Amino acid sequence: MNEARKKKKKKLDTSSTGVSNHRSISTLGALSVYLITGLFLAVGFWVARNKFSVDLVSDPSLTLFLLWSIEFPVVVIMYSFFRKAPEKCSCFRAYGRSILGLICGAFLNALGAISLGAPIGMQYLPKTVHWSFLMSVFTCVPATAVFGASWTDWHRVFASMKPSGNVEYMIFIPAYGTIIGGWFGAWPMPLDWERPWQEWPICVCYGAIGGYIVGQIVSLCAMFFFRKDKHLKVA
Amino acid sequence: METYLKRNNKKWIPLAFLLIHSVAILIFTRGFLLTRTELPFHSTCSDASLSPCLSNSDHNHNQKQPKCWTKPVVDRVVIIVLDALRIDFLAPSAFFPEAKPWMDKLTVLQNLAFGNESSAKIFKAFADPPTTSLQRLKGLTTGGLPTFVDVGNSFGAPAIVEDNFINQLVLNGKRLVMMGDDTWTQLFPNQFHKSYPFPSFNVKDLDTVDNGCIEHLFPTLYKDDWDVLIAHFLGVDHAGHIFGVDSMPMINKLEQYNKVLEKVVDILESQAGPGGLHENTMVIVMGDHGQTLNGDHGGGTAEEVETTMFAMSTKRHTPSVPPEFDTSSCKQDPDGKKICISSIEQLDFAATLSALLGISFPFGSIGHVNPELYALSSSSLNLDNIELGNSGTQPAVNEWMKNYVNVLCVNAWQVKRYIDVYSNSSVVGFSSDDMSRISNLYSAAEHHWSNSIKHTLMDNDGNEDSTNTSALKAQIAAYLSFFSSVAELARSKWTEFNLTLMITGFVMLVISLILQSLAIFHGDKPFAVDSGLSTSAAFSLFIVLIRACSFLSNSYILEEGKVANFLLATTGLIKLRYSLMSKTMRKEAFIFLAMVSVLRVSIDIGLTKQAATSQFMSSSPTWMLGLAPDHPALTYASEIAPIVSVAVLICVLYRGIAKTHSEGIWKYVTVGSMLNYFLIALLWASESKIFVLDGFLQVIGGRNIIPQTVYAIGLLQLFLLASAHMFCAGKDKNWVIRAVALVSACSSPVILLSGKQGSMLALAYLLAGYCIMRLEGVERSTKSDGQNKFSKLDPLCVVQWSLLSVCMFFASGHWCAFDGLRYGAAFVGFDEFVLIRQAILLTIETFGFSIILSVFGLPLLIPIISQTPQAHGEKRHMLFQMYMLYGVISATTVTATILCVTIHRRHLMVWGLFAPKFVFDVVGLILTDVLICLASVYYL
Repeated sequence: MNEARKKKKKKLDTSSTGVSNHRSISTLGALSVYLITGLFLAVGFWVARNKFSVDLVSDPSLTLFLLWSIEFPVVVIMYSFFRKAPEKCSCFRAYGRSILGLICGAFLNALGAISLGAPIGMQYLPKTVHWSFLMSVFTCVPATAVFGASWTDWHRVFASMKPSGNVEYMIFIPAYGTIIGGWFGAWPMPLDWERPWQEWPICVCYGAIGGYIVGQIVSLCAMFFFRKDKHLKVA
Repeated sequence: METYLKRNNKKWIPLAFLLIHSVAILIFTRGFLLTRTELPFHSTCSDASLSPCLSNSDHNHNQKQPKCWTKPVVDRVVIIVLDALRIDFLAPSAFFPEAKPWMDKLTVLQNLAFGNESSAKIFKAFADPPTTSLQRLKGLTTGGLPTFVDVGNSFGAPAIVEDNFINQLVLNGKRLVMMGDDTWTQLFPNQFHKSYPFPSFNVKDLDTVDNGCIEHLFPTLYKDDWDVLIAHFLGVDHAGHIFGVDSMPMINKLEQYNKVLEKVVDILESQAGPGGLHENTMVIVMGDHGQTLNGDHGGGTAEEVETTMFAMSTKRHTPSVPPEFDTSSCKQDPDGKKICISSIEQLDFAATLSALLGISFPFGSIGHVNPELYALSSSSLNLDNIELGNSGTQPAVNEWMKNYVNVLCVNAWQVKRYIDVYSNSSVVGFSSDDMSRISNLYSAAEHHWSNSIKHTLMDNDGNEDSTNTSALKAQIAAYLSFFSSVAELARSKWTEFNLTLMITGFVMLVISLILQSLAIFHGDKPFAVDSGLSTSAAFSLFIVLIRACSFLSNSYILEEGKVANFLLATTGLIKLRYSLMSKTMRKEAFIFLAMVSVLRVSIDIGLTKQAATSQFMSSSPTWMLGLAPDHPALTYASEIAPIVSVAVLICVLYRGIAKTHSEGIWKYVTVGSMLNYFLIALLWASESKIFVLDGFLQVIGGRNIIPQTVYAIGLLQLFLLASAHMFCAGKDKNWVIRAVALVSACSSPVILLSGKQGSMLALAYLLAGYCIMRLEGVERSTKSDGQNKFSKLDPLCVVQWSLLSVCMFFASGHWCAFDGLRYGAAFVGFDEFVLIRQAILLTIETFGFSIILSVFGLPLLIPIISQTPQAHGEKRHMLFQMYMLYGVISATTVTATILCVTIHRRHLMVWGLFAPKFVFDVVGLILTDVLICLASVYYL
């Protein structure tokens, strides 16, 4: 859904080659990447709890800020390693466009959330902003780090769902997982259980993180089972 | 010929479904919506002379005060209502399998009840469902069984119009003081001599009502300016709702009540001496209903209906009830002492208190005077005959029975009178079998009374032989059996759902749903079958089912508008994804999402309105962006924007008819709508302050002229369309222009009635609908099967249209409750009230956007691609499918609602939330079916 919206932001069709000439990665490598991202997500929660003694329920804005600001550099560094045309595009350029992607992705995520019914109002603004940054880190940032603003790649991977290579599995399946997880995470919100985690955006965050992890597992399975297919494509 | 038949077929199918749905819903409603007619009659003191019973003046000559139906036995009554008082809060823990922390906290009452020297008793009281405070207070005071639809109840104002105990007190010159829960003042706005109401809706506030009560209770007890005092404490109910029964706040509350009650008893006893303020006062501490361990109530489970009552008379004596009529159950307490609690029906409360205070019984009361409660203070009856020390002995019992049997006689006569009058005057009365059974019981009892007992009592010679006693007992038993069969009949009629009828109705609906789904594929060509499982169809099914499932929870019903909006936005995002995939219609997809966002803001505003009146919604005005509501720029914008929107609508219509080279009547109808829009804009401009058009309305003769003209033009347009359809049938194959004409003709009254938001919503609706039309089949175009592009039905766009119409219902400020109706709309253009006319206007206002416009506007979703005659036939078939699909979606929703009310028929919110939702959905479904019939006649 909102991966599609990213395309609106930039029309710089710099590399319309479509040939995947970026570094490949094995399933095991993908697993280690996932483990590292998962580790730093856990670090984010740990810092929030032990250094600032807050959690998602007591102070969603600060916790979300900590989560995304710890997760973001990790994701950028890891995924920039797999950027397309590494010989043309320096590492720092990849970092730079990731920051741009983070902001644009956050904006689109926020718009999507509002059209789906996220509460609007001044007291919800910081929460929505930090939530959409976290969503952007999961959905948008890996893709910007790898593809940059290459419209054809975005379109091929996200809209047509024709990924080539493990890296693209690593990009789009967790991103979809995050969004679908967040979608389902919104369902408990109207229930009258009077639990503090039913507030916006706490359960949506849990849903999104859960969906992200499920997406990672699914993408690992996909890499594992479609290996032959991949080799065919790369060849 | 064949085509003609087929064409005719298609017109009959919607009618058939209308009939099936109506029958199914009728059957279900018979089983679910229990109705009772409220009778406007009142009992008066003089009525009793019509009864066969002894009037009191015959029976007892030396009386001091004037009396009514029975001789008063207490002078003053203190009623302390502790909301949601479970039986185990008051009854000793010896009565329950194991002692829990919340038991035995109200020790002061237990000590009084089981002490030797007091006339106090603990009762197990049975409430009748629905066990919500308002219905219970109504039941307690009227002595009847309130149902969801008490016909005659004015919607909106909950004041009780039926005859009731409070009303009788006022009629008999008693002075009432009330403190606590403000539900009482809503139910009885003018009856209280003094009242100290406190707001009851904030469940999280455990103390405001209670502290207010306590503050006023003690000083009032020392005063002599009242006869009946009602104090209603809410703390236990609120503590249950928030923390549950097994919690510290609950125990604290109970301990607090114990202190309060101790003080109350102390005050009363200190004044109880001869000549004192409370020489002959009765104290009643009671719950209005129970609660479950989670603090819920409303349903009919044992925990919810079993509440308790403590009654004490300040005049000490040992109550004397013959063992035949003693309902008490006894246990050994830990010390080995025998302790007993009796039982009472809440139904009997009004009659018993009326008898105690000596006032006429409420007209609609079907309870009887409870012997044990009545006996608690009967010692004062015949003090002249029997000395105090003798009470409890056989003569005393006999004397009490004589008195009691006379009270029961009046009581039975009153209940019989009510049953007869009710049966004659109500549309849905009792069956003749039941009536004859009751009449037989009554006439047997009355015969016995007139022939023997009456004479025995009249003689009053004082010889107490055993035959006399047994005759009295037989008479009382005869009356009690009459009462119990009346109560049983009334319960079966007014409180028990007929599950067989409900399930029959539900099953019929499910069958019709299956048939209707099959009808979608009626006459379809084979290629449609393989499209049946396409992603779009699967996704549509998913959305419809998830929405249907959401009705199983009260929370989602409460936020139905938001749920529909959420799903609509989801479909919008999916469409956006497809449009980006196929690189077409991206603009439309974004506009659609923007419109959905606009609608959601509007729904939020509607929800805040609901929160202001609903008892379930907590207010959350989150959408306010820090702008003061009366900011000058805001008022200016709110005056201008509707008029601008109307102008835009006029332009759209103009472009619509300018582009299509249509001729004849359709065009004139559309021009008529433009005129209507102009009139509406003129009306709003003249009502607002920023345009200097104040004098304008006077010039044309009042503000009702314009609305009435709009209605007249609208009717004329519909008439023209109908006649055009009849006389030029088949000539004009282009139904887009026909649809535009019909929708625009219907829209002008809808916009007018919806008020100023109407035009803006219509604009948003139009834009969103346009986007849906443009996006129709966008996911298919990627698959490049262009040859049957427009002949296949895209279910997703119908689902979107249906969700959009649901959103429109909520966005236009409605919600599924009777206080959500906008009664003001019924008086746009008219000052006086004519039931049918105003009801039609209210229906148009309520369902205008969500059903009328959406059903009639459905053909507009078919994209204009080809105008060849061969394509026309396929398009007609597709239109038929779309109507069937729309019908299926509506029916699925209603089926889910019906399943939900069947499951939750004993739920806490069944009367507050599920039943109104059910009524709205059912009315909506029938209206949808009717309009689909009309539309298929018009279009197909």
